[in-house]
Amino acid sequence: MSQAFTKSMARNIFFGGSAFFFLLLVALTFDTMQVLPKRDHRENITPAVERGKMVWEKNNCIGCHTLLGEGAYYAPELGNVYARRGGGEFIKAWIKSRPAEGTPGNRRQMPQFNLTDQELDDMVAFLKWTGEINTAKWPPNIEG
Amino acid sequence: MQYQSQAVAKPYFIAAIGLFVGQILFGLIMGLQYVMGDFLFPAIPFNVARMVHTNLLIVWLLFGFMGAAYYMIPEESETELFSPKLALLTFWVFLVAGALTIVGYLTVPYATLAKFTFNDLWPTMGREFLEQPLVTKVGIVLVALSMLFNLTMTVLKGRKTSISIVLLMGLWGLAVFFLFSFYNPSNLVLDKYFWWWTVHLWVEGVWELILGSLLAFVLIKVTGVDREIIEKWLYMIIAMVLITGIIGMGHHYYWIGTPEYWQWFGSVFSALEPIPFFMMTVFAFNMVNRRRREHPNKAAVLWALGTGVMAFLGAGVWGFLHTLAPVNFYTHGTQITAAHGHMAFYGAYAMVVMTIISYAMPMLRGRAANSEKSQVLEMWSFWLMTVAMVFITLFLTAAGILQVWLQRVSTEPLGFMAAQDQVTLFYWLREISGVIFLIGLVLYIISFFVKGETKEAA
Amino acid sequence: MSTQILTLDSHKAGTPPGDLAIWFFIFAELLAFGIFFLAYAFARANNVELFNESQQHLNRESGAINTVVLITSSYFVVRAVAAIREGLSRQCVYWLGAAIGLGGVFLVIKLFEFHAKFSAGISLSTNTFYMFYLSLTIFHFMHVILGMVILAAVMLKAHQGGYTAEHHTGVETGASYWHMVDLLWIILFPLVYVIR
Repeated sequence: MSQAFTKSMARNIFFGGSAFFFLLLVALTFDTMQVLPKRDHRENITPAVERGKMVWEKNNCIGCHTLLGEGAYYAPELGNVYARRGGGEFIKAWIKSRPAEGTPGNRRQMPQFNLTDQELDDMVAFLKWTGEINTAKWPPNIEG
Repeated sequence: MQYQSQAVAKPYFIAAIGLFVGQILFGLIMGLQYVMGDFLFPAIPFNVARMVHTNLLIVWLLFGFMGAAYYMIPEESETELFSPKLALLTFWVFLVAGALTIVGYLTVPYATLAKFTFNDLWPTMGREFLEQPLVTKVGIVLVALSMLFNLTMTVLKGRKTSISIVLLMGLWGLAVFFLFSFYNPSNLVLDKYFWWWTVHLWVEGVWELILGSLLAFVLIKVTGVDREIIEKWLYMIIAMVLITGIIGMGHHYYWIGTPEYWQWFGSVFSALEPIPFFMMTVFAFNMVNRRRREHPNKAAVLWALGTGVMAFLGAGVWGFLHTLAPVNFYTHGTQITAAHGHMAFYGAYAMVVMTIISYAMPMLRGRAANSEKSQVLEMWSFWLMTVAMVFITLFLTAAGILQVWLQRVSTEPLGFMAAQDQVTLFYWLREISGVIFLIGLVLYIISFFVKGETKEAA
Repeated sequence: MSTQILTLDSHKAGTPPGDLAIWFFIFAELLAFGIFFLAYAFARANNVELFNESQQHLNRESGAINTVVLITSSYFVVRAVAAIREGLSRQCVYWLGAAIGLGGVFLVIKLFEFHAKFSAGISLSTNTFYMFYLSLTIFHFMHVILGMVILAAVMLKAHQGGYTAEHHTGVETGASYWHMVDLLWIILFPLVYVIR
């Protein structure tokens, strides 16, 4: 019966291999959790940053933009927008000035979200904190 | 159809195809918004269209998987479904919840939807692919649990085959890993880290178990090859899927704040991820070449072979293209990702659902296969959709390469929008391919209504 | 193996010993390690000084002892296969037991080494060299455990008289896997501990 390539053998490889690598994933996740505080600077997550993330999510910004490269690819990367635009004033002015009926011409349109001043400040705080995450030098340049 | 209760699969398949049409229509809207930015603005902004496009994709694939499971499990277990009534009830709950969610996306601003669905109490919305309101997410879990209960009870009282065990593991995994969508910490890095436990461990993990078992089931039926051989292949393929895919998740952990050793783990293991897809292609062709009978349903055989090839191209080759960390550094979050996403989802998941529908739908309508005329039309739709998708992928890849060059590599990098303006031509070409895809899809639907001479199901 | 023969005929001349599935598995393992070794070489070429400097802090003595331990255990496994080919189940069990024992020695020595490194505050994120050192050795460590489990299962079956001079694929299968674990260490040790 030698050299038999049996189904039970294949099944054992499946169960053994999956369990092995899932455990490896758990171990690596454990290590990642130990290292993350040094990279995400969570001590700087103020209530404003937390609220800003909520504003980000409630308006589905990820539906057009990318954040650290993840999201839609329709509009600019915002992980480094705080640095690219030299602070929060530009960001706030930009969001506030989107016309509700759109800009003329066939440019890509950003909706008017009617954010309050508080929400704008929170959003900027969130984007500023995001820009300070250690992302292994990504993106390659300031254009994102 | 050997068991009466398999009939519950039919509404699932019909709903899947219906939602598929919706997904493609919104895809075309978005494609047009890429080149005509003010199209339908402000009625349907891009972010809404995209949310509808991706959510419809997920939901129609889930309908397809569920229909497939309700069709396969009774036949594999050689017993009637535990509760056909529950399966039907689950169908309506899922359809109504899904439809209400889409209507919600389209009729009220997203922030309003979030407010009315108590997102403030437990924020889970506004993250890519997981945009559903909390109630919908809970609904998905309940629907999944009801289905799992129904199917598990059926398998427990009947024959236990490897195919049904793998399918059940895939569906249980789908439910378990979806639970990570309820975890949304205020720390963005943690949020992203565990967001992938739903997204990656779905599409590059447990969904592939479902894909493998659907393909294996259809191949057994249409080729008549010995079950032992097919199930052995199934186990080898899914073993390689998880061995490479679980740590392969590292390719999402390069630039989101996670430790840099993930660049090595992710690169090494995801470089191996094409192997199971290659095995799948070899498997499909090998089984068809060794067939012991000529099944009258030629279209289903074509879909099965197509799934092998396109999954390998879309998920395997296009995935490998940008998976190595030094490459991904430049391609991360560009149209290259979009190209890969389109072909991988179509080649692996959309096609496998159409494979099972192609095989099962005639059976559910009381015949072994559709008429010759209907099959010819279905095969035309196969080629139109598949070739259109190849071109969509090629055009997006071209756009992506240019985007990377203009915006990230060249010595005088352009801003995002300036770079986008340079690649408009490719977005137009992509949109034209999309229209051809829609024509293919329309032909596909027409093929269900073409009459002609058919044989009774055995 | 009482299950069905599926695709391949048995006892063809020139086929490798043991179950074919384990060879498929071994191939996959060697591929994964091979890519990791290549990645190591690539990373080292880009950062020779860091690698050489960090390498100084590794415990080469314990690595060398472990090499001897594993090679000896492989020899014991060879004796176990030789014994079962003569139909000597009892001797086979003894040799396998000795091999598993040496596997245990390897693990203990390795644990001391890991303990020293972790106490020194070294982790995956210390630098690229330590990332590779820890990943490769822990990955290999887990393979040694898996190999011991396989050998133990074979030993149990041999103890129950499950193998004969004619039918002992299981022993050859387990032996093949163990030799692979040994082989990986023989590459890993000079690559990570010695070459500079």
